Amino acid sequence: MSDDTQRDAPDTADSDASGRFELRDHTADVAVAATADSLGGVFAAVADGLTAAMCEEIPDGGDRFDLRVRAESPEAALFDYLDQCIYERDVRAVLPSDHRATVRSDGDGWLVEASARGIPLADVVARDVKAVTYSEMELAETDGGWRAYVVFDV
Amino acid sequence: MTDTPETREYDGIELRKVREFVWEIPKEGGMNAPARVLASDALLEQISDDKTLQQLRNATHLPGITTYAACMPDGHQGYGFPVGGVGATDAGDGCISPGAVGYDINCGVRMLRTNLTYDDLRGSEEELVESLFANVPSGLGGGGIVEGDADTVEAVLERGMEWALEEGYATEDDLAHCEDEGRRPDARPEFVSQKAKDRGRNQLGSLGSGNHFLEVQRVTDVFDEAVADSFGLKEDQIVVLIHCGSRGLGHQVCTDYLRKIEQRHGDLLDRLPDKELAAAPAGSELADEYYGAMCAAINFAWVNRQLITHRTRRVFERVFRADADELEMELLYDVAHNIAKKEVHEVGVDADGDAVPAEDAIAHEARELYVHRKGATRAFPAGREEVPAAYRDVGQPVIIPGSMGAGSYVLVGGDESLSQTFGSTAHGAGRVMSRTAAKQEYWGETVQNELRDQDHIYVKAQSGATVAEEAPGVYKDIDEVVRVSDALGIGDKVARTFPVCNIKG
Repeated sequence: MSDDTQRDAPDTADSDASGRFELRDHTADVAVAATADSLGGVFAAVADGLTAAMCEEIPDGGDRFDLRVRAESPEAALFDYLDQCIYERDVRAVLPSDHRATVRSDGDGWLVEASARGIPLADVVARDVKAVTYSEMELAETDGGWRAYVVFDV
Repeated sequence: MTDTPETREYDGIELRKVREFVWEIPKEGGMNAPARVLASDALLEQISDDKTLQQLRNATHLPGITTYAACMPDGHQGYGFPVGGVGATDAGDGCISPGAVGYDINCGVRMLRTNLTYDDLRGSEEELVESLFANVPSGLGGGGIVEGDADTVEAVLERGMEWALEEGYATEDDLAHCEDEGRRPDARPEFVSQKAKDRGRNQLGSLGSGNHFLEVQRVTDVFDEAVADSFGLKEDQIVVLIHCGSRGLGHQVCTDYLRKIEQRHGDLLDRLPDKELAAAPAGSELADEYYGAMCAAINFAWVNRQLITHRTRRVFERVFRADADELEMELLYDVAHNIAKKEVHEVGVDADGDAVPAEDAIAHEARELYVHRKGATRAFPAGREEVPAAYRDVGQPVIIPGSMGAGSYVLVGGDESLSQTFGSTAHGAGRVMSRTAAKQEYWGETVQNELRDQDHIYVKAQSGATVAEEAPGVYKDIDEVVRVSDALGIGDKVARTFPVCNIKG
């Protein structure tokens, strides 16, 4: 996900080597369904879906920045990670894209160590996504890896 | 012989017809009260097409839910609590639910009057829409009208529109024509996180995107001359409608408290069918902190709309070469449609003292309730002390924004609203098509061209995708929504407006 060419962000795309997301219908808001081989991969794939919900054409440029959150459960970690992406967007004035994440349990909870490429909002046509929600949230291990479903408030 | 009530079933949820436009989901299982849907047959078919009914039924699981949870005629699926939902919970032994308020705390609408007529404006549409778009920040990362430092944000959270008045962004008259005079006295900025304040600093005075907009409109129909006269409305008059909320600050307040409630009141959360309904027990520390933080975010939203008002006045002055006072650009009203408020209502009770619908009540008791309105508008009739003095004898103005192709309505709080909906009615047209489907169905530029060429509506947006997502065809028929509100007497028709210029993120 770090190629140097400008590319479209369609409703379905690879997130990393294994991650994929799909934007799903929701009457007022937008939902992201994602799969990946790993827990970190599915977190990043949902975040890529969040980016796609805000912007159709993702340009080059911007600097990578790190995110780190810790929460009491994998679901809470996913919620907090996506909330942090939205917070960083507003405070840094960048569109976080090309997400990478690792997730592990460290005894005190679930630790997400992630990064994103922050494209200055001045360089992109993007729309607001207000917040991540718990509504209908699903995070489950599958035979082939992990799947997630997250509804965002638009 | 007793008539068997008409029933309908949608995805295993049975509705019983109470009377014209009123349907009830009977109390069963873990429900703490029944639920009611206020809709015509046509609207009910749309409401039942997604998860609205399931979410409404889930909302009745909230502790202390009083009489019933209600879905307004424009209701549709949201997250946790449906959009168009009204839930009154007991402020003594019930709960308060951030999910039943929504992320965009005090998302709402205000209408400005002018003394311009449509003829005065014709020929200036393009200049006006371009100037409004250039001067009112919209979209993502557009900044705000005020670059708020930490002290500014604190003052806004604490004092709301009183701050705007002190800083020269508002008039005394603006405050007199705003819900709560633009200030929630229960605001507690110390319970708003630094993270939320950080997000608010560069968004003070901005529309955002999604369904938020600023629209110049003309009054096309007056249905109630006497009330319209009280509201200062007449046919052919130009008005301005502003629809936005508390921006990232309010969104973060909701997010923060959902997580705090999850961590501290997991036992209550485990009893609720949807995690997004997260609620803090009334009287708990978190309930009080959330209420204080939410009231502070309400103040922030009022200032947000006020700053846009201030900038809009400057734009009109330039375009029409007249002072805003000369143009009589006065605030008609500003009303929230994502909010929870402590209000005292006369609740119908049965012989056991349990809350029951008005038609089953043998007595009434005054009870203090948290009235959650998520995508629903307060619609108090004449007489309620909360209605500003300017309208206390006629009733509260209710502004119902429609799509950018269908127009909007001004209603007045109806006499039946207190007994039927805890003083509430609809908040808009309500979506019927998802954003992803809308982008497949419509192309932004085509929508803009058609609106301009066919309806003389000038639309300018940061993103063509936003125009497609908000195309007139993705919304319910606002005429039908208002017809039901009017027929039920919860919000009565006063006037209708039609778009002239529209800007959005």
